Amino acid sequence: MPARNHSQWLAKPKLEGGEWIDSRVYSDQNVFDDEMERIFKKVWIPVCHESELPKPYDFRTTSIAGEPIIIARGPDNEVRAFLNVCPHRGMLLERRPSGSFLEGQPSGNPKRITCMFHAWQFDMKGSCVYVAREKEGYQDRLCKEDVGLRRLRCEVKFGGFVWVSLDDNPKISLEDWAGEPFDCLRKSIDAEPLEVFHYHKAIIDTNYKLWHDTNSEFYHDFMHYHNRVTGFNDAYFARKNFAFKHGHVVVGTFEVNYENYEGFESRGALSFPHLPPNQWYMVDLFPGMNFNLRGSALRCDVVTPLGPDKVMIEFRGLGLKRDTPEERETRINHHNSIWGPFGRNLHEDLIGVAGQGTTMRPHTEPRQILHGRHENQTIHDEIGMRHYYDEWGRWMDRLPNDPDQPWHERNPGESAEAAE
Amino acid sequence: MSWKKVCKATDVAPNTLKKFWIDGGIPIVIANYGSGFAAIPPMCPHMEEPLEISGVISNCVLTCTKHLWAWNLATLEQHGTETEKDIKSYQCKEENGDILALVEEEIVYEFDDEDDMDDDSFFAKS
Repeated sequence: MPARNHSQWLAKPKLEGGEWIDSRVYSDQNVFDDEMERIFKKVWIPVCHESELPKPYDFRTTSIAGEPIIIARGPDNEVRAFLNVCPHRGMLLERRPSGSFLEGQPSGNPKRITCMFHAWQFDMKGSCVYVAREKEGYQDRLCKEDVGLRRLRCEVKFGGFVWVSLDDNPKISLEDWAGEPFDCLRKSIDAEPLEVFHYHKAIIDTNYKLWHDTNSEFYHDFMHYHNRVTGFNDAYFARKNFAFKHGHVVVGTFEVNYENYEGFESRGALSFPHLPPNQWYMVDLFPGMNFNLRGSALRCDVVTPLGPDKVMIEFRGLGLKRDTPEERETRINHHNSIWGPFGRNLHEDLIGVAGQGTTMRPHTEPRQILHGRHENQTIHDEIGMRHYYDEWGRWMDRLPNDPDQPWHERNPGESAEAAE
Repeated sequence: MSWKKVCKATDVAPNTLKKFWIDGGIPIVIANYGSGFAAIPPMCPHMEEPLEISGVISNCVLTCTKHLWAWNLATLEQHGTETEKDIKSYQCKEENGDILALVEEEIVYEFDDEDDMDDDSFFAKS
């Protein structure tokens, strides 16, 4: 194909409508704002793992769709989530990324969440338990009972992850949301408690969906030199992508032959419970979570979109809570040799999406992004992305290849409500 | 019920508080208010604040610096305008340079129970 002039470059590709999308989906501020309102404030997000708050009064802070959140374990061992906002004047209640409320803060008391601004205090169930000089200032017009924290839907599920929804009345229960795609992993990750042994985050100048796209296709193994030269075999190409409702995709299992990996060893001895030795599974959840069980280690990616061209990706590695120190050491080695900062492919994936982010900055000229590979749903088929953007179009009521046009007009009867 | 040795009188300087454990587990704070000693449970009756850390003593008055609840340690009366509950204490005496406290069982305060709002109907309230 010769090089193209501007109008040739802008011409629509010779592919079907669902086989390419418009880059404004990745770069437009209005699209991003809509995604926060229409998707991220409505769905279930795995904000952390319960092993990251192992003791009563342990907490973590995070955010969903820009809304700051506290997750705390109560004295009754329940994990609860609250908006990290003081009901008085809107101060951020807790500034630390994680810690314990067991010891009092400088302005507060033990076992309380304390707003450092005016010393209002809240217990682990979000009840307000102290308003400084309450009677003097509010007489009987307002009292502690009126000013509790905003509590959020929160469930510990699917291997001990803590799932939060900003929607008090989600249209889809967590079980209905992700139960089916997790079926392939459930026996392995729910057999016994898991524990996070690895955490790092990357803030990348790219759109969050580009990260999920990369997790949804394996065609980019051409970027991973080692995967390409040691992994391309019949079993690799035989894997299929399975689409589930709500935009999720599961990549079918296969047995990894680590003998082909120079310097690697079999992971059979430490494979997760009920998992055949060296088996591998991957679950991609809409709108941007990935669970990857590679025999002896589970990886979980969660995206937090920060703007059309900025995303925070949190990476967690998990093993079994009962690991001996030696087992844990081996598991960490297995995890890091693939997914650590110096691992086999993670850093290359980040380079890939950072490069896409560079060409699709806000206000760059809209261009076409091709999702058109069909290979009988196998590993280099781009069905995962096509399935994702079908779902995206319904939630957003925008056409992925013409995002200023409403989805429902081209797909009558397929509005977001119908999809649910 | 018996008198237990908690510490030496010289262990706690005037106008300070110090925490000790007797009988291998009961925590007691000894407060030296200048003209005498008081033996009290270690928490402020308001919000479980550790008094050996956040309490200050001046002119016989113990004040919890978090919300300014205060008590006269010689009389155990409430002091100031903020205090809403009495402070509890063990009987306490000085004998041969030792501080003794009369302890039968640990004194604990009742703190308000947290409401149980864990049923699903929580999210349906308006």
